[in-house]
Amino acid sequence: MKRALVIGATGFLGLNVVDALQARGVAVRATWRKKSITVFAQKRRPEWRLAELDDLAAMEDAMRGCDVVFFAAGHYPRYSLDARAAIERGRADVRSVCTAAMRAEVPRVVYTSSIGTLDGSVEGPVNEDDRTPEPPVQSVYRATKWAMEEEVDVALARGLDVVTILPGACLGPWDVRLGTTGVLVALLNHALPWWVDGVVNVADVRDVANAHVAAAEMAPRGARYCFGGHATTMRTLFEELCARWALPFPAEELDVRSARERADAEEREAAPRRGRVPMPRELVDLVTWGRRVDSSRAALELGVVARDHGTTLEDAQRWLERMGHVPKTLPNTMPTTVPETMRASRAEGASDEVDERGRSSATRARDDRGAVGDRRRVGAG
Amino acid sequence: MRETIAELLEIDVASVRGEQLLREDLGMDSLTSLELLSTLSREMKVDLEMEDAMEIVTVDDTVRFVERHLAC
Repeated sequence: MKRALVIGATGFLGLNVVDALQARGVAVRATWRKKSITVFAQKRRPEWRLAELDDLAAMEDAMRGCDVVFFAAGHYPRYSLDARAAIERGRADVRSVCTAAMRAEVPRVVYTSSIGTLDGSVEGPVNEDDRTPEPPVQSVYRATKWAMEEEVDVALARGLDVVTILPGACLGPWDVRLGTTGVLVALLNHALPWWVDGVVNVADVRDVANAHVAAAEMAPRGARYCFGGHATTMRTLFEELCARWALPFPAEELDVRSARERADAEEREAAPRRGRVPMPRELVDLVTWGRRVDSSRAALELGVVARDHGTTLEDAQRWLERMGHVPKTLPNTMPTTVPETMRASRAEGASDEVDERGRSSATRARDDRGAVGDRRRVGAG
Repeated sequence: MRETIAELLEIDVASVRGEQLLREDLGMDSLTSLELLSTLSREMKVDLEMEDAMEIVTVDDTVRFVERHLAC
């Protein structure tokens, strides 16, 4: 691979893909849009091309002469309020990029999807083979990503060489627009009003970027690779973060139905002013979808394994400090045990293990008590 | 410069005045600040640091910031 085009090079994953490519000596071409935040990518000196996703001619021109196109700019619905519009937009984005790639005779496209397209009803950890056969219901985000993969299948059938990476929730440096990291910012600022338990697969964005580059070089045509990273529960993750940074545990835990309703209401309120909410609906959907992801195929075939989880958290914190999203005075105590105040918030002293539905012990205990619809306070703050 | 700011904020250029505070008066948030910094970086063809945004508080500051960099 001598030259690659990165679509989405000004964004979180894209910036890290650019770094991974340049570390391997690959010349990087990058598309940008008029409202792109180019100030970070500019320092990497890519060959810039102004191209909107729906501008076929500009896209085709940007792709010509590239060995690989990294498509890391697929539609990510900011709000889960309009399923039809989100799905149509997502499909259109993929169709446009794939059509341009075929016209430009690009040898390979690496497409960024999501673990949210996987089937949540199977037993045990899920992997690349567990695609949900029907569009996911009750989740705009998952339905959109699922529909976008369907468009990739169409392009594959038409002869395009595409490999797909399905990352978990990414954390790490260069999260300019605060995706999943937004919940971390809220926690660090003591501003997380509520949360919901379930499984969360936390991937270091740099590992995900490395998986993209390795897939470009090594994967067979049509291959798909999960990269879930570190699988844990939301409760355990919060306990770890609160212990690390001496934070109060977020007080209000909601059950699934209440969390969906609350996220929807907050997004409806935030959307007119284009605001962000601490717990967006898509994160609620991913957490409550709740499957541990098996990333062994990426490890075996691409040689990419998850780095130490603590490093990911520390580097994410440094980035957030630099951006001014969190105070620079956070202690980094890195205790090896969970403080007593948090331990006391757990239900019946159960372990962190999750069940086949991805529920942690405390959530299981609550569900078993028939507490659906009930809000309760946990943690000592 | 007023046109650039108005375009970024999607407001009428006539409502952008020199003494206005970008954040408090015009509602610019951290992301829009980075978009503005990116636009300035592209148009002046210079590398800017994120910290450069800290010194830009008003519309007039933006103009002075550009003039200073162009003079270098």
